[in-house]
Amino acid sequence: MSTAIRDILQRVGSLPPLPDTAIRLMNVINDPRSTVDEIVEVIRYDQAVTAEVLKLCNSAYFGMTRTITSLSEAMVCLGTVKVLQLVMSVHTSALLSKAQIGYGLAPGMLWRHSVAVALAASATAQRINLGNVSLAFTAGLLHDIGKVVLNEYVAEEFLEIVRRVREEKLAFVEAEQAVLGYSHEEIGGRIADVWKLPQPIIQSIRHHHDPTRLVPPDPFVDTVYLANCICLLLGIGLGEDGLYSRASDAVMQRNGLKESDLENIGAQMLLDLRKVEQIFEGQSNRSTRPTPGPGVEHTHDS
Amino acid sequence: MEHVVDIADFKVSRDPQDQLVTYSLGSCIGVAIWDPVVRVGGMLHYMLPESSLSPDKARRNPAMFADTGVPALFRAAYELGASKKQIVVKVAGGSQLLDDNGTFNIGKRNYVMLRKIFWKNGILIDNEDVGGSVSRTLRLDVGTGRLTLKARGKEIVL
Repeated sequence: MSTAIRDILQRVGSLPPLPDTAIRLMNVINDPRSTVDEIVEVIRYDQAVTAEVLKLCNSAYFGMTRTITSLSEAMVCLGTVKVLQLVMSVHTSALLSKAQIGYGLAPGMLWRHSVAVALAASATAQRINLGNVSLAFTAGLLHDIGKVVLNEYVAEEFLEIVRRVREEKLAFVEAEQAVLGYSHEEIGGRIADVWKLPQPIIQSIRHHHDPTRLVPPDPFVDTVYLANCICLLLGIGLGEDGLYSRASDAVMQRNGLKESDLENIGAQMLLDLRKVEQIFEGQSNRSTRPTPGPGVEHTHDS
Repeated sequence: MEHVVDIADFKVSRDPQDQLVTYSLGSCIGVAIWDPVVRVGGMLHYMLPESSLSPDKARRNPAMFADTGVPALFRAAYELGASKKQIVVKVAGGSQLLDDNGTFNIGKRNYVMLRKIFWKNGILIDNEDVGGSVSRTLRLDVGTGRLTLKARGKEIVL
């Protein structure tokens, strides 16, 4: 085993883990028998996150007429799905917000891409009647987690990876595998294994670039794959790996989706993403859109 | 001053100090226009070809679609004094995933729709960089009309 590969595997083990509550929450979401009370119980265990989520629920964006003081109240006013989205976004934002130089991602870009894929995945799950929308959101949020570890190795071998992409017509993820011995999919899958995430999330992280390798097909993995395709196409948090990822007709067909479905999901995702960014902008300085200055006479951006 | 044109957004300006920039063009298309006489510049970053997909979204976000975004961009530039005869048009984007079947061909359809709109209105594209699978960044200097394109880590003048 080469030193680089040994290094990469060691890094997988030493990555700061997601908070225990985040992982327990995913397992609760994964269990169809879970009740809202059980979900609230798990979230509440982490007081810092609970406080931050309540602050977000009370942000000007939601325009609540009274102050929301408890999670159960938030669940009633905003709905369970929305509150879970906020909780998972808060849990992962620190881990995913750093710059990933190897992939050409400035600070905040990987997080933006991850939230976009999460929103598109939950919309796709809804469109194909997959049921567990919150689990699809979480899987989307974590699909690129392997990039956090692989980033610096990609940076070192970047020219060679790009050469293989160009000359051998490989997808970027295939070139990672060829040059480094591991792709960010595989590394992400190993991280998810170490964290003991629910199986559907592990599978969708591990196969989000090529779900056609899975026999039998897994509609949950398909969902995250399609959501990622949509966000790559629309350039949300697009890095140096660009659109060097494979499109699959088969995945569309076996889920009964047409191109117009993807366009609809993409258009709605963008509007939802702006809402999420608005909610978080009030709390931090993660603004991606500078305010227009006096020189700009006309701007359209709702 | 630098102004970022987000996805499904457009901006126009006549301040010679301004730069209009749009990042991460994938299958979306960036349209940069500039009138060298009155020195008015504009940039659009649209994501989908046709507003018939969702007339409601198009009404609220005309810059989301080619057929509503392009007219809105030109109208805003005319309001600042630009004229159709003088406007120089440059285009970038329309990338594709690696796709043997052409299933996910939003990029191509985005470009075809743009050509159709320009052809109908008698507008010529002065220069363009479209297709492939790269991510592109476009930057227009409103004072000079200089348009730069960044892709694959390299910057060129378009």
